[in-house]
Amino acid sequence: MAQFNLPQNSKIEVGKYFKDKTNSKNLRKINVYRWDPSSGKNPRVDTFEVDMDSCGPKVLDILFKIKNEIDPSLTFRRSCAHGVCGSCAMNIDGVNGLACIKSHTDIKGDLNIYPLPHLKVVKDLIGDLTTLYKQYESIQPWLKVDQTGEEKIELKQSQKEREKLDGYYECILCACCSTSCPSYWWNGDKYLGPAVLLQAYRWINDSRDGDKKERLKKVADELKLYRCHTIMNCTNSCPKGLNPAKAIGSIKKMLATS
Amino acid sequence: MENNNPLSPHLQIYKWQISSLLSITHRIVGVINFFAIILICLWATLIIFGQNGYELTQVILDSFFGKFLIIALCWTFSFHILNELRHLFWDLGYGFDLKIAKITGVLALIGSFILTILFYIIGRNFI
Repeated sequence: MAQFNLPQNSKIEVGKYFKDKTNSKNLRKINVYRWDPSSGKNPRVDTFEVDMDSCGPKVLDILFKIKNEIDPSLTFRRSCAHGVCGSCAMNIDGVNGLACIKSHTDIKGDLNIYPLPHLKVVKDLIGDLTTLYKQYESIQPWLKVDQTGEEKIELKQSQKEREKLDGYYECILCACCSTSCPSYWWNGDKYLGPAVLLQAYRWINDSRDGDKKERLKKVADELKLYRCHTIMNCTNSCPKGLNPAKAIGSIKKMLATS
Repeated sequence: MENNNPLSPHLQIYKWQISSLLSITHRIVGVINFFAIILICLWATLIIFGQNGYELTQVILDSFFGKFLIIALCWTFSFHILNELRHLFWDLGYGFDLKIAKITGVLALIGSFILTILFYIIGRNFI
């Protein structure tokens, strides 16, 4: 049974208030989820007053400003800062997205930043994605061909066949979609979730792959696949503009028609 | 080893989207309709038992609560029918585009109210 409330050790408390020290007139309140594993305390939400006059346009710029100038203990993942690596996925203003490509000017009022929903928190804004990576491994995300070492030949793909992967190969596995899905929240241990199913579809749909039937068979499961109820939070949150809901729908359709 | 780290907030912080709101409404309304059909069956059964049974349901359904119940059920069925249409099209592979899904969602919601009014007017005047 799904648990809708947060467990006792996850209840969020009111945190510290970091008052502005720059005397700036253009201040913005940023509420950030904090949890320190060494403290033994419950998570809290700290509020930072940030001077927006000297801040870059993206949410990641705000986080860096806080880390560099206000509280160096703030912890978050980031790498490329161009929406390619997917490290800085977090919940910004109630919707999952990449901090590096999300403009804070698009959001009105105070800015709320939380880790990706329904994950075990490692520290502050970092969630534990181990389960998701295991599930990703379970769909065997690599090309499977029946070629022995001697007869190995080049696998050709026509332009049309290649186009079938458009909208799927761009996925960067940032986990924004999977962690936005209520179905994944309640059944994350069994349901594969939008990110992994989109990847599954990407391999099923690859003309060079020789294991299509087996792949479909493996994913055709009441819990693994059919826990998707087309809630579409995934498509709503994908920072790359992809459509996991459509990918899952396509797998369901393939299974129904094959 | 059990992971005792806190769970990050989910329902508490995630912003409602049109799609997610309609999805959960579809579920709730589905459960309501399940019970509504039982009620309708009971109603039909009562009529079999003759005039007394008929008059009893008449009194109940003619009260303010009864009217509210009927109109509410008109809406729950209207909404479920229209939103189920979206699901049928999704199963056929159409309507996944974010914009289209939003438009059909809003249409289903607005349509459900129009359909409710239509049901009510038709029921009032022609049956």
